[in-house]
Amino acid sequence: MLKTGVQTKGVINDETPKKGFELLKRAGFTCVDFSLNGYLTNRMLYEDARNDFFSQSVAELEDFFRRHKTAAKETGIMIHQMHMPYPMYVLRGSRELNEYLWNVVTPKSMRLCAFFECPYIVVHGFKLSHFLGSEELEWRETERFLDSIAPLARELGITICIENLYTSIGGHLVEGPCCNGRKAAERIDRFNERHQAEVLGFCFDTGHANLVGIDMEDFIRTLGARLKVLHIHDNDGIADLHQLPFTFTKTRENKTSTDWDGFMRGLRGIHFDQVLSFETAPVLDSFPGEMREEVLGFIARIGEYFAGKVEAP
Amino acid sequence: MVNLEEKKLNLLCVPSNIVGIKNPYKGLRNISLAGYKNILLDFSLCCTSGELERIGRKKAAEEKTDRLKIFENPEKMNEAMLPLLEQCKIQGIHTPAAYAPYLPRDTKHADLNGLLLHLAKESIKLCGLARCKNLVVRPLFAGIAPADIWECNKAFYLELAKLAKEQDVRILLENQCKDINGHLVRGICAMAEEAVDWVDRLNEAAGEERFGFCVDVGVCSLCGQNMYDFIIGLGDRLKAVIMRDCNGNQESAMLPFTSVYRGESQTDWLNLIRGLREIGFDGELIMDIRDTAAAFSHLLRPEILRLSKKIADFLKWQIEIETRLKKYSSRVLFGAGNMCRNYMKCYGEKYPPFYTCDNDKSVWGTEFCGVMVKNPESLKELPEDCAIFICNIYYCEIREQLLEMGIDNPIEYFNDEYMPSFYFDRLEMKEMKSEE
Repeated sequence: MLKTGVQTKGVINDETPKKGFELLKRAGFTCVDFSLNGYLTNRMLYEDARNDFFSQSVAELEDFFRRHKTAAKETGIMIHQMHMPYPMYVLRGSRELNEYLWNVVTPKSMRLCAFFECPYIVVHGFKLSHFLGSEELEWRETERFLDSIAPLARELGITICIENLYTSIGGHLVEGPCCNGRKAAERIDRFNERHQAEVLGFCFDTGHANLVGIDMEDFIRTLGARLKVLHIHDNDGIADLHQLPFTFTKTRENKTSTDWDGFMRGLRGIHFDQVLSFETAPVLDSFPGEMREEVLGFIARIGEYFAGKVEAP
Repeated sequence: MVNLEEKKLNLLCVPSNIVGIKNPYKGLRNISLAGYKNILLDFSLCCTSGELERIGRKKAAEEKTDRLKIFENPEKMNEAMLPLLEQCKIQGIHTPAAYAPYLPRDTKHADLNGLLLHLAKESIKLCGLARCKNLVVRPLFAGIAPADIWECNKAFYLELAKLAKEQDVRILLENQCKDINGHLVRGICAMAEEAVDWVDRLNEAAGEERFGFCVDVGVCSLCGQNMYDFIIGLGDRLKAVIMRDCNGNQESAMLPFTSVYRGESQTDWLNLIRGLREIGFDGELIMDIRDTAAAFSHLLRPEILRLSKKIADFLKWQIEIETRLKKYSSRVLFGAGNMCRNYMKCYGEKYPPFYTCDNDKSVWGTEFCGVMVKNPESLKELPEDCAIFICNIYYCEIREQLLEMGIDNPIEYFNDEYMPSFYFDRLEMKEMKSEE
């Protein structure tokens, strides 16, 4: 059966990581999405600020995360994917900050990914199309960034995954980088050909796709084997809420307003064999703390349901 | 080949909720007084999506109405539309584009595709009668398996193509939403690649350019799409654009720039204008404000229509900025401020000005963004076909100044509100690259 995973954010703490991994194991998960972005948050970056977490040497960072790695191993949980801090380029951020993100945070995140024996690291493309005038020019800047880190990815044996993102226009969320499946597939192939290794893959985010009305089945089928990582979560089609699948409805019939059938058909169509990973950390904040284990168990159960549908003969 | 009488960007008003189909005089008069010379010939006025959806319902069958039931007798569409067409003729209003009846996106009917074909055929005939050159016909979707969508629609559109040729009408496909239990997501031809593929394959099968495309801005907005990419992808297949505003979540047709949140528009007008400007769009610009019109008192409707025409003029002006630059073999600028800077960034290379001028004496003889700043008096020596592009928001005052100076060169207004790109500090990125 397909494996299921969930974010470590809100579950794994740095003092006693094993407790968190055990909780996830009891809930039914066998994989996690390691929330490296939690150590240098986007909120901080958008304020042109940063902490010194990634200023530590690689050896120090590895020391810091050794107990997390050991705990995951002892619990039998695989770190299947991780999220690099984002954004990687802060528009109108200081030169110092952007250099730090590019030259310090990025390579160290990748080395930590390898340290965790994690095959995939998710990065966000630059959001520049408003200024540059087109998505094509925006991609060129992202590609330049990716080109600069691809040799390290190759050396470490990891795959960088680009993700479909959104941007905001007057509070209305519209498509951002990597929302065209065909372009993404072509770009990934070209990139990997150029670097002679599978250093670039795709992370499909169901919530972001739902916000901008992407045809999930078509998008997933177009990506095919380039799809390495999932961020599964739900929303009302208006805000990026990261809630449980099947939560939102819009009509009196109370049928789900997210195209989960299309999502499952797509995965089934490409014989998806990676991890059904949920990006639902906010759910743990919305439910009472006392229900955390049950909530995690329910998320894992939804994962099993998806797995059953995707793998049905 | 469709023979359009003149190739220019037309402004059309959608008459829904403004013009009564039986007594169209007043509504059309208001449209005309607002300055519109064209309307969309909207056949759903005589056969609404609601009426189609109610077909077969007991209540609908019992409904007493003096309205012609076009869904029962599609050939009577002519009769139903006649008062409107006659009144258009009387008031000198043209109908360069039309829209065929359609089903609601959440239709429960899977059995009306035959009727839709019939209605589309009648629409084409009426277009021929009204000398209307473009007809938007939505693709069939109800009751069709996803794998059969193209084949079913190919047959549908090619069936229409024969009649369209006879009537000299071009059929426009349109980007669609798909209803997922109340959530509207990208549907048929919502992606440029598919839209292009469909139009090209249909034209190839028809053996002529019988098909084109109409972009519904509301649908793009509901599907959170980058309209620049969509429009650039369509290129010259794009023959019409339906301009309507909405909040991006609920389908409505509001006056552009009125769906706002914290002072910002919720529709991506920037990318729409960027795209239309870049392809040199010269088709039908259709203003659909039916929901705004319905929400206002009918006493205020004439004012709303006037505002909608002003907005349409503004959009046309923005879209045609590059077309106007292209029109002249040479040009100079007036103004040496930010607007001039933005001109030079985005158009300076493609349409280089001889120089710019400014009323500020202190900058005469200096260089600004690669152009010399001169005394406005220099304009008196311009070759006669050289256009003056005013790069300053005091357009009227500067125009007056130029006219008072006795300058009779063409005077045009440049504007930098919707530029192909904007400044941001990219030097940092370039420097970072050089340090790698």
